[in-house]
Amino acid sequence: MELQFKNVSKDYGNIHAVDDVNYTMENGVYGLLGVNGAGKTTLMRMLCTAVTPTEGKILWSGKDIFRMGAAYRGILGYLPQNYGFYPDLTVYDYMMYIASIKGLRPPVAKKRTLRLLEQVGLTEKRKSKMRTLSGGMLRRVGIAQAMLNNPRILVLDEPTAGLDPSERIRFRNLISELSEDRLVLLSAHIVSDVEYIANEIILMKEGRFFRTGTADQIISSMDLDVWECTVPKEKMNSYLKKYLTGNVRTVPGGVELRVLSETPPTDDAVRTGATLEDAFLLYFGEKAGDRNDAEI
Amino acid sequence: MMLKYELKKIFTKRINQVILAAALLVGILLSCFAVGSVFYVDENGDSPKGLNTWRLLAEDKNQWKGELTGEKIAEALRIDRALSAQYPDGVPDDVYGSEMQAYSDIRDFVINVLTPDSSWDASVLDQLTDEQAEDIYDIYRENLSKMAEEYGTTPEEKDLLNRIYEKIEIPLVYEAKDSWDTMMMYVETYAIILAVIAGFLAAGIFSGEFRPGVEDVFLAAKYGRSRAVKNKIIAGVLMTTVVYWSGMLILSLISFAIMGTSGFSTPVQIWETYSIYIMTYGEYYLLSLLCGYIASLFCASLTMLVTVKMHTAGVAVCIPFFLLCMMPFVGRALPSFSAFFNLMPDMLINIIECIKAPILYQIGSVVFRQIPLIMVIYAAAAVALLPIVYRSYRRRGLRKR
Ligand SMILES: Nc1ncnc2c1ncn2[C@@H]1O[C@H](COP(=O)(O)OP(=O)(O)OP(=O)(O)O)[C@@H](O)[C@H]1O
Ligand SMILES: [Mg+2]
Repeated sequence: MELQFKNVSKDYGNIHAVDDVNYTMENGVYGLLGVNGAGKTTLMRMLCTAVTPTEGKILWSGKDIFRMGAAYRGILGYLPQNYGFYPDLTVYDYMMYIASIKGLRPPVAKKRTLRLLEQVGLTEKRKSKMRTLSGGMLRRVGIAQAMLNNPRILVLDEPTAGLDPSERIRFRNLISELSEDRLVLLSAHIVSDVEYIANEIILMKEGRFFRTGTADQIISSMDLDVWECTVPKEKMNSYLKKYLTGNVRTVPGGVELRVLSETPPTDDAVRTGATLEDAFLLYFGEKAGDRNDAEI
Repeated sequence: MMLKYELKKIFTKRINQVILAAALLVGILLSCFAVGSVFYVDENGDSPKGLNTWRLLAEDKNQWKGELTGEKIAEALRIDRALSAQYPDGVPDDVYGSEMQAYSDIRDFVINVLTPDSSWDASVLDQLTDEQAEDIYDIYRENLSKMAEEYGTTPEEKDLLNRIYEKIEIPLVYEAKDSWDTMMMYVETYAIILAVIAGFLAAGIFSGEFRPGVEDVFLAAKYGRSRAVKNKIIAGVLMTTVVYWSGMLILSLISFAIMGTSGFSTPVQIWETYSIYIMTYGEYYLLSLLCGYIASLFCASLTMLVTVKMHTAGVAVCIPFFLLCMMPFVGRALPSFSAFFNLMPDMLINIIECIKAPILYQIGSVVFRQIPLIMVIYAAAAVALLPIVYRSYRRRGLRKR
């Protein structure tokens, strides 16, 4: 059972949202990392048969997913990025509705709904209207609905975006709990969200899969070293201009910089171990707009 | 189960609940207006407005209930003539209440018979002799064939009209029909409101999905492109049916409970004497209910389709309003296109006018009357649009752009 992308492209007008992606996935957790507009959502929407590729094919164990239709969607669970809902339904009714359009028989639907609500910690909220839930609770309902049909393929588009740090950690744990025995594809533009749960990282840039592999493989593919150095405050800007710089921290006697460079930026710079975040910085450069977000 | 939750989605939406509550209120209000619109004069010349007034009115008029033979008509006219002679300056209210009111429908019928072509003119009664009054049905028959000649523009049309007019059962059977008569206007008003509401609610069934994260969940579900869409459409039709008929049931129940149902089998020809629709007041009422239902269904189908095509309900919800409320004005402004405008859906909720007008359409050698034609057209259209809604929604996002 494998999911294959074959020359998959998606154009919107003359924007190449996804550009000639070739890739194969099996069971396991795949983390799709990319800046805003990299094409993550577009790729996932194709995977969920919400839109067709302009070119290329997506195959599930050799069969075109669009041809498979309902049979394919039956093994699919999807949490979209801007997860939307029906505000006036109760959580339970919402789950039951989604279960019905997923083709679950009523007794099964009921059992799964109650079990999943328990798993995501929303049993007490099952009679509340969807509109009264907080963002974090909604995300949990979102995950629960994706899991209703016990999908072989679980697609989560930025499941942790907009959550507070503790909720984010709970969420990560929930996802790893749910990821056994299935193919999970989750996207993020924040490294820490996928770093720990994903077995395989995909860096996506301008519609292309730019680097793929385990976190270690990606880190070791970097051709720059990571240095830590302290410089006087007034010199900071020239360093920022000259080097690719990660975290900046004010310390006594200046600012401490984390710099990516082939050579040491200062004489007293210390080489440190690279992280996935450094790789992200390297490959996405200044475009990593949410870099600071990751430091929460 | 899908259907159950689809309906639940419609009826738990807060805006829908507000609208339905308002519709219920309007229905009750309309019943009150209908009940309050009684015109009755008692034998003292007073016009009481109590809840039993309708029944008093029917009781008064039903002194003349039964087969309206020539002799009966002549008798009514004799009384009328005597009263007119007695009170040349107008009949006082108490006399109207005790004498004239009872046979006023019969008098009106005679005037209508005698003025097939011209406008209402009570003076025609003065030229009518007693013998002529007894033979009023001969004059009626004569005028009917004259009208068939006049209304029909082709041999086929004339032929159809003659055949229709032959179905009028002479003598007419009279029973006071004021409650049915009065209710027509309220039914048609309420039908417009319910059709617009059905359109609004139906549009919401699909527009609720057209938000990025909602639609994706729906389309990625196993039956999101098949059975679930079908159930949405069925929910739309069911919702329309339930909303329309419960609304009308409430309006009718309240009104007729108070007004009484006298006149169910009075032929409409008693007032619409030369109408080309031969039916009783009860049938007339049911016909307009049915036409209103077709209008509601058509609006629901159309708004669903437009919502699916445009991905938003904004335009769609305005369409029923335009079709049913604005169209009549457009039609009136362009009289030379009346053949076209007489086939517009607003006619479905204007049956009062339709039965007055001998509008015929001929296709080849087959002649259709306006009401059955529009009923068939819009019932068929309402049904025919549904598969298009299905197909359009089903293929969302699957076109290569
Ligand atoms: N429906 C659409 N119509 C037109 N252009 C679109 C559409 N959806 C996406 N795009 C464009 O495709 C590109 C990729 O967008 P996509 O949403 O896939 O990025 P993303 O990686 O998910 O970004 P983010 O991190 O902000 O969610 C963007 O340039 C976007 O403007
Ligand atoms: Mg996205």
